[in-house]
Amino acid sequence: MQNTSTKRKIRITPLDTTILVVLAGMFGFIAYKAATGLNYHWNWAVIPQFLIRYDTEAQSWVPGLLMHGLFTTIRLSLWSGLFAIILGTFVGLMRVSPRLFRRQLATTYVGLIRNTPPLVLIFVFYFFVGDQIMTLLHVNEAIYALSPEAQEVLGWFFGPMSRFSQFLSALVTLTLFEAAYIAEIVRAGIESIESGQWEAASGTGMSRTKAMMYVILPQAIQRMLPALAGQFISIIKDSTIVSVISIEELTFQAQQLMTTTYRSFEIWTLVLVMYFVLTFLCSMVVRKLELTLQREP
Amino acid sequence: MKNHRFRTIVPFLFLLAFLVGCGQQAPQQNDSGVKSHVSQLDTILKRGVIKVGFDTFKPWAMKDKSGKYIGFEIEVAERLAKDMGVKVEFVPTKWSGIIPALLTGKFDIIIGGMSITPQRNLKVNFSLPYEYTGMSVIASKKLASGRTLASEFNNPATTIAVRLGTTAAEVTKNYLPNAKILFFDEESQTIQELLNERVHAVVASNPLPLNLAKEYPEQLYLPFKEDFTREPIAFGIKKGDHDYLNWLNNWVLVTSSTGWLKNRYEYWFYTNDWENQIQ
Repeated sequence: MQNTSTKRKIRITPLDTTILVVLAGMFGFIAYKAATGLNYHWNWAVIPQFLIRYDTEAQSWVPGLLMHGLFTTIRLSLWSGLFAIILGTFVGLMRVSPRLFRRQLATTYVGLIRNTPPLVLIFVFYFFVGDQIMTLLHVNEAIYALSPEAQEVLGWFFGPMSRFSQFLSALVTLTLFEAAYIAEIVRAGIESIESGQWEAASGTGMSRTKAMMYVILPQAIQRMLPALAGQFISIIKDSTIVSVISIEELTFQAQQLMTTTYRSFEIWTLVLVMYFVLTFLCSMVVRKLELTLQREP
Repeated sequence: MKNHRFRTIVPFLFLLAFLVGCGQQAPQQNDSGVKSHVSQLDTILKRGVIKVGFDTFKPWAMKDKSGKYIGFEIEVAERLAKDMGVKVEFVPTKWSGIIPALLTGKFDIIIGGMSITPQRNLKVNFSLPYEYTGMSVIASKKLASGRTLASEFNNPATTIAVRLGTTAAEVTKNYLPNAKILFFDEESQTIQELLNERVHAVVASNPLPLNLAKEYPEQLYLPFKEDFTREPIAFGIKKGDHDYLNWLNNWVLVTSSTGWLKNRYEYWFYTNDWENQIQ
């Protein structure tokens, strides 16, 4: 399969050239308009220091403010992606369960989350529900009791410990939100497996759980993968929304910078590129993974 | 099938009841906190950390290049914490949600250039004012040239941009009730609208209009010589905590009498010595 794809020659037809020229012209026009039409003093020189800067105290290069924001975005996406897959698989399995109550519970959850805007969900969770849970679990007290070393180690995984309860609120909301979509992907994946597979499994004397684990899920996961990957990229983009509850991720960091420097266009452009690079890399990794899985059997 | 549909709704209703229940619990906790006379001051001292809520406003509070917060309010908060003998922890919060965040206990105090208004005072308690700020107008030369009277802006043909939830928004409604007002979440957006000539003017607290007039002398100008208003700036805390409020009031009295507050205000508002720390 790989051979055929590398052997194929790339031919540039006149149509390709025309499309490329038209596209380049459009971008050029927009860039020209932005540079001349707007009453705006462009100043790109101040921008690189927000990505990386030389720290005179530490005598070394350190990540700038936007990089810190990007790290928080990545942390948030990875953790909520992981938890959402766990919770989503669980709910998805409940959605196809033969027990009515489990199906109802899962349907309610999915229905509730998918039919409410994430912005409202985040506010409700942060201001009402989150607070109750944090107090109940004594999260804040636990953080203050931690030794500085432990705080530093945990900070590597979860960001600055002083803002941990906010981070947790954001993480839980994002997880709950994304898990509802993942549950549907899991359900669709399982339901797409032909009924003959179920019949064959039970014919060999497998219980429902065993059939699910050894016969259905391995096949379903392969079918679910493209959709799951899309969902993970969605998580990265959806994480921008937690900036409204002041989580210091990329979007929030950018907004704060704009308020102090008034360099809106330069910073938004840079943030756009940063998100694009991040999500594009993710989609390439997933594509690789898909191809590997296809070749295996 | 019908029966099935009905049963699907039942867990949903339970969930709704749970959410409503959670929403109602918060004020009850506040009441009991006041009745048992546990002052927030004691909580802060016991914790050894005061959590300060604010939002970025130049030059009240800003992030410097290394990500540390600097600005007038930051110095005030640091001094306050030092005098209290505790560490300070900054909790940056969007301005539009800052009062709910205080009331739900995300931080202990708002030190964010918040001016006292009766509406805000219904929800929070304010200390004595530690500084005053004035609102000013910055207008576009192209769209609104030569106007020097408030009445010239007070008509439906004039569009004014303000930041949501600020006193600038209220002041504009009061002083220019006939003008069309656009609300934005961030100060930088209002400035963008003005520079792109989509609004005639922006109302904001000084020194922002002054600085903008300096940076864009060809496009922008200050229509009025005097400030619109003189607004008292104070600390905001949860209601009903007299010990805490008393401590804050006396802190303001003592710090003002030594001239420290005035000195710092002048440094942040009338000099640009700190500008190289941000860009």
